[in-house]
Formats: sequence, structure tokens, C-alpha cells
Amino acid sequence: MIVQKIIFITIILALTFSGAVAQDGDAAGKCMTCHKEKSPGLYQQWYNSQHAVHKVTCIDCHRAEKGDKDGYMHYGARIATLVTPKDCGACHQKEMTEVDNSYHATAGLILESNDAYLAHAAAGEPVAILGCESCHGSKVKIDPNSPNMLSPKSWPNSGIGRLNPDGSKGSCNACHTRHAFSKAQARQPEACSKCHLGPDHPQKEVYEESKHGNTYYTNIDKMNLDSDSWVVGKDYYVAPTCATCHMSEAPGLALTHDVGSRISWTLRPPVSTHKENWQTKRDNMKQVCVNCHGQPFADGHYYQFDATVHLYNDRFAKPAGEIMKIINDKKLQEHPADFANDIDWIYWELWHHEGRRARHGAAMMGPDYTWWHGFYEVAKHFYLEFIPEARKFNDPDVNEYIDNLVDNDPMHSWINKQTGAIKESIRSGEMQKMFQKYYNMK
Amino acid sequence: MKLLDKYVRFLRGVSVNKIGMAGVVLTTSSFVTFIILELARLVGVFTNSYAGLVVYLLFPSLFIIGLVLIPIGWYLRKKRTGKSGRELLEESFADPERRSGFFGSTVFRTIIIFTLINITFMTMAGSRMLNFMDTPRFCGTACHSVMNPEWVTYQDSPHARVACVECHVGEGVGALIDSKINGTWQMISITFDLLERPIPTPVHQLRPARETCEKCHWPDKFYGSRLKTIVRYENDSASTPAYTTLNLKVDAGKVRPEGGIHWHIAAQNEVRYASVNDEREIMIWVDQKMPDGTFKRYVNQALDHRESEEDDTRVLDCVDCHNRATHIYEDPHDAVNESIRLGQLDKKLPFLKREAVSAITQNYADSVAALNGIENQFTGFYRLNYPELARTENAAINDAVETLRSIYYRNIHHGMNITWGTYESHIGHRYGTKSGCFRCHNSDMVDSEGEAISPDCTMCHSILAYDYAEPFGYIQPADTTDPEYRMQQYLRDEFLEFIRE
Repeated sequence: MIVQKIIFITIILALTFSGAVAQDGDAAGKCMTCHKEKSPGLYQQWYNSQHAVHKVTCIDCHRAEKGDKDGYMHYGARIATLVTPKDCGACHQKEMTEVDNSYHATAGLILESNDAYLAHAAAGEPVAILGCESCHGSKVKIDPNSPNMLSPKSWPNSGIGRLNPDGSKGSCNACHTRHAFSKAQARQPEACSKCHLGPDHPQKEVYEESKHGNTYYTNIDKMNLDSDSWVVGKDYYVAPTCATCHMSEAPGLALTHDVGSRISWTLRPPVSTHKENWQTKRDNMKQVCVNCHGQPFADGHYYQFDATVHLYNDRFAKPAGEIMKIINDKKLQEHPADFANDIDWIYWELWHHEGRRARHGAAMMGPDYTWWHGFYEVAKHFYLEFIPEARKFNDPDVNEYIDNLVDNDPMHSWINKQTGAIKESIRSGEMQKMFQKYYNMK
Repeated sequence: MKLLDKYVRFLRGVSVNKIGMAGVVLTTSSFVTFIILELARLVGVFTNSYAGLVVYLLFPSLFIIGLVLIPIGWYLRKKRTGKSGRELLEESFADPERRSGFFGSTVFRTIIIFTLINITFMTMAGSRMLNFMDTPRFCGTACHSVMNPEWVTYQDSPHARVACVECHVGEGVGALIDSKINGTWQMISITFDLLERPIPTPVHQLRPARETCEKCHWPDKFYGSRLKTIVRYENDSASTPAYTTLNLKVDAGKVRPEGGIHWHIAAQNEVRYASVNDEREIMIWVDQKMPDGTFKRYVNQALDHRESEEDDTRVLDCVDCHNRATHIYEDPHDAVNESIRLGQLDKKLPFLKREAVSAITQNYADSVAALNGIENQFTGFYRLNYPELARTENAAINDAVETLRSIYYRNIHHGMNITWGTYESHIGHRYGTKSGCFRCHNSDMVDSEGEAISPDCTMCHSILAYDYAEPFGYIQPADTTDPEYRMQQYLRDEFLEFIRE
């Protein structure tokens, strides 16, 4: 009885005082009412997120304006399914600008690349959508017949370089997984390893193998991942994650969403080159290193790493590239299309798979990836597959190039020497001398 | 004495051989037993639950079999001896009894009197038998193995005082004959094991719901709204309650012209539909009658062509939503929630909700395995993880086991392959986004313009708490630090707007 009376009185009071209500609050409340039941997982992710704490609700991100190509009416509210960096940027302006200027934002222009050519030609469009565009981002197409206005070929897609109908590039939830958008989640290596793994760029595996990864997985509970401030050496100290070195704040170094701003080499193309302003970028990276390492340690790493990259370029990347150039220029292959011949695949894997593994292993201190998954495979396929396959054309120019390489380049002439003699020259330190030039090379 | 002598002599006369004698014994003894048992039952001495079966089915049947045996014995004797009827009569009965009087011979009169008695008895017993066959006990227990699940759920249901035949048979001679023919077929299918287990639903030959249900519940009665609070306990250690309070708008259009949930069956409205395999689960299309008498069609876009071949059009009535108005099989979570609410399960046991549901939802091979399994699963958890508590709260744990067994036995019926979820209720939409109301009210059901049947939450109910710490929680002004406060505000305003109208 008492309960009923209280309820009755409350109703009367509520009736008396319920006056004007903000219309926007209405829409937000209405969204939650249904989605709490119909998509409870999504709802709870949001409910426990920082967005919820800061009173950012469904409609704040999904609101569409009249004229938005991807906007549609949904139970009385004009909304868009797609939330683009432009939408996020309404609050996260700095992050949006940094992402827009980053290499990540260009990932959607993949259709111009050899990778996309191969997926389309040798597999097919559905594979290119799920395989390539899932990471790189699709060009989102509007389909008026689709219930959410988005062509099912381009939605779902959360590729990091997604080309959005509003002209913006990228997708924040590529790293900040919806609908929690948790910073703790984005700070962990798993956020990156949806894409940065596998035979062609095993950053995840290299990290796991490295001391950085070892100590991270051992001490994950001490990483203070939920903290608003996340400055290495201050808020946590047990291990770095991908984000620590490439993005997060360090004393004297600001947080950035431009992931390339601390990377001095590009290890992606057949022949590695220094990036623009690479010295500044390297200094940025060292600014992170020195929170846990002495300066000579950081310098020493680059001393070893640089030599390895130069060595790779000179010993394998450039000669293989030159040989392929002669073959392509003279159209020596049996089939005209790229990737229709054995040598196309051998060369491709040499630099795109094994060659990158070798360099990434070296960059992030993964010994097994530097050697066994890296240079070991590069050498094996260079000497035992690529060179023999090139010689099969029996072309005088190709043969001349290879002969010259083997006869006159001290790095390649070992194949015609006695094992004993080679071992002796290793023991004496004679063999190592030819690599001296790669240290401190600019 | 003279009468008894006469009767004994008559009986001896008709007991011409073993068959005749058996007939006499059967008829006489079953008649006498029937009278005694019926008297015993009337004064309340004979209360066995199968009393009806014995008194009204067994003995009248034996009585009739006995009566049939007597002329058979007579006929066989005639055939064997080759004598005429008169000669046989002479052999069996003394001369004075055969002498013709004003009302015929004594034998003739005796036969007439007995026949009258027999007819009277058979009429009475037959009508008692038919009456008995109309009782729920007959329906529920005569074919025990098949009907037991329905019998158990029926006894526990809101319609426990409405006889089966009120809904399943109907009135009039036609309905009676139909039901007896149907019953005969059911006897055959049980005898030769021709029935499907579980019995498939929906039961298509059910009497029209509007004829049966509306005897008590007619559309004019559905007006206004109805408050309902549902409590759900979390899987956490404390089995924390979360309340949902709904103000169900059940109006049929009496209070508000647009109506509420019972709009569907209001006199001026008609909804008809076709469903995949006539199972009433997945809609092919739904028609809504417009004011001008035409129908507006909503078509399920999620169906491919092969699935959407329609067999039958059905006009929506009570049972399309209230498909489990009586034979209610519970959801294991709901059953446990309800038992906790009623105090039959003691919340001081940690992880009570989680462990209770776990104990009754294991796959037990049969009911004996379940008997032991529920106990092992439930008590085992506490013995292993809370050994101290398992000792001190032994009584509470044992009581919980009994409650859980009872939940299990009223819902799970191994013989009929009925397990959790075999017969889902269409009321509400607790089984997902295409269940219950959402069979039609979902975004796949669209008209020619692409407009969907509205699944708007507040169309059918105001929500005054949704998985909230207290019932009616949203009536109070919302706490703006709660992430949901805008929803609470919206729902509170919606409710107040609704009741103000």
C-alpha cells in the first residue's frame, strides 16, 4: 500500500513538474529505448564507455543533416550509419587533423597498387573487398536501395583509409573499436594487429618475439592502460606497446595520431629509403627510447638497424630489381601479364614478403624475424630460385649482369669459393670488413 | 425371498454354458461394484485419482461385455444342440415360469424387467461416462504418457479451472461427434505409436479462438493499460535484481481511438497473414484492413522466393499472440527469477541465479538422471567453492534443490521430447528480434513504399524501468550522472503524456 501511495504521489508530482523537454534529448532517449533491447552488446559497450560518461549519445555521432548523401530517416530522426572522421572531429579536432595528414589516411588509395592488382586479377572482387579493403578501407558507395543507404559492397568496412562520402579519409574505429572506443583497447598491440601481421608485414609477430612484447605480456596488468594520462616512464614503465613508441606521449614529446611522425625509414618498398625529415622523426623516436634506455643504447640500435637496411638494399634489393628491370624491359617472360610467370611471384615474395620481414625484424629487435623468417629466406630464394629462374631466359644482358655480380661483387662471390676458406675468413674477421661501410652510412 | 429365488432361478436359466455364465457373472458383479463404488465415491470414501476412470469407464464397459456374452452363449448352445428355441426354453425353465399370464410368462416378464433395468443403467452410466470424458482429469490422465506434459502445465495455469473441453471441444452434437472421432484416431495413434514427439504446434484444428476465448474475454474488456513489473536477477554473486516495469497499453480502441495492443482484434479491424509452412513463426506477408475495406499488404523482404510459397491465409486471433495461454512452458531463467522472487530459492547463496539456471539446463538423459544431476550440479558448486557455507546453509541448499527439481519436472518431459524452448510463447518478444510481436513488427516487413510495420517500443508499452535497480525507477526525475538519463527522461515524459491523455 505504502509503495503504491508513493508511486501515486510521485506520478502526481511528476505530472506537475514535467514541462518542456529538449527535443534532442527525446531523440537520444528514443534511440536508447530500442537499442538497449535490440542490440544489447552495442548498448552496453557504449554504456560503459567514456562517451557515456561525457553524455555523448547515439544521435550525437549518427546525426545526419538534410543533404547528406548517406543520411536517411530512422523512426523520426535523420541519421547516418557511417560515422566518419569528420563526425568524430566535431569533438576530436586535433586527432582528426593528425590522422588526415598521416600515412594511414592514404591507405584507401590501394587500388593503384600491385597488391590490389594481384587480388583482383588472381582472386576476384569479393576477395579484394574482404581481404584488401577490410584493412585499407573501401571507397564507400551510396546505394539508395539499401536500408542504410550504403552499398553492401562497401559496408561494413572499417579500414583505416576508408574513402567516405563526405570526402573525409579514414575510420577512427579501425583502432578505437566501436562502440566502446576505449583508449585502453587502442593502446594495446591487438588494436594494430588486425592488419599489421602476416607474411608481408609481421609487426605483431616481431613485437611478440621482441623483449618489448615479452615484458608487455608478462606485465599487462601493470600497464595502467585506462589512465587518462599515459606518459611512458610516468604513468607506466614496464613495457612499451605499438602506441607507446609510435603515437603516445613521452616526456618532451606530444601525443600524435600521425603514426609516421617517428619513423625514419620506409621499409615498405623494394628498396628502403629514408623518409622526408627522417632525422627529426628519428629524434622523436629516440625521445621515447631514452625513457627506458640510455642514449648509447638507442643510438646503438639504430647503428645496427641502419647497417642491416643498407645491406639489404645493396645486396638483394637493388640487384634483384635491376635484373627484373632488364627482364621486363626486354619482355622476356612467356606471358604478358604481371604475375602470370614464375619469376614475377618469386621476385614479389622476395621483397614484399621475405625482404620486409627481414627489415621489420631488424627495426623492432626480433631476432628470428631478422634472420630465419627474414634474411635466411631472402638469401635462399635469391640464390636458389630467383637467379636460376632469371638465367632460364638465357638472355645475354641478364646473364652478363648476373655473371658480373657473382664474379666481381665480394658479397656474392662466396658461392664460388671453398667452404673452408670462407669459414677461415669469417674467423679472421676478413669477411666482415666488406660490411663496414654500412655502419654509419647516410 | 421369493423374489430372490426367482432371480437366482432366472440367472441359472440363462447361464446355459460357460460363456453365458461368464456373461452373467460379469454383468452382475460389475453392476454391483459400480453401485458400491459410486456410493463410496459420493460419500467420499473412494478418492483415488483414477476413480473416474474405474467407475465410469471400466465397470460400465465390463457390464456391457457381460450382457453381450449372454445371447452369444445362448446362440452357441442352440447351434451345438440343434434344438429349437422353445425346446431350449423348456430345458432351462420350469413349466410354471413359462406359463402365459396376462403380462406374458414369468420368464418374459423377468426379461422385460431386466432389460428395462439394463437400459436405465446403461443410459445413466453412459451419460456419466460422457460427462466423465468431459472432465480435465480424463483428458489429462487417460493417455498418461502423451498428455502428461499438457496436464501438468494446465494444472499450474490461469485456466486451471476451465475444463479442457471448453476450449478444445466446444458445444453441440457436431462438436461432440468431431471430438469422439478425433479421440478414436488419437487412441489408434497412441496404440500404434504414430504420433510425433513432441506434438507439433500450432494445433491447426483448434476451435476458433474468438468463439472459445471470447466467451469470457471479449474485446470490449480490453481497455486502458496494465502495469507489470518483471524482475530479473543478475549472474553475479549477489544475484542482484534488475527490474523492468511496463505500462502495457492493452486497449482495443475503447479508451483511445487508435487503440493499443488489442487493436489487432477490435471489431472494426482485421489483420490476416500467411506464414512459412503455416507455422505462424516467419511471416510471408501481413495484411491490414483499411477503413475503406481494402487491405494494405506488408511483405517480408528477408525471405527468398523458395520460402515464401504460401499455403494458407489466416485471420489473426487470440492464439496468434496468446499461443501459450494455458499450457505454459517456462523459460529456465524466468522460472528461476520467479522462484527467487517468491523466496523459494534463498538469495543468501552466492551465485544463486547463475548456479540455479545452470543446474536445470544441463542435458540430462532422463528424469532419473535429472533428479540426481540437479542435486550434484547445485550442491557440488557450493561444496567445492564454499565448503563452509555448504555446511552452515545445508538446509537452504537442499530446499533449493527441491525447488529446482520441481521447476525441471513441470517443464521438461523426456518421454515427449519436450525440453527448454520446445514451445516458445509468442507473448512479448523475449526470444530475440524476430520473436513474438517482432514476427510482424520488424524492419523486414515493408509495404509497397518500403515503410515497415512499426516496432516502436512505446507504441505498445510505456517503460517505467528497464533492467533498473528499482521498479518504477524512471518515474522519479532522472539522475543526470546516469548515462541513460536521457532515455529515462524520454520514457518518463512519454508515460506522463500517455496517462494525461
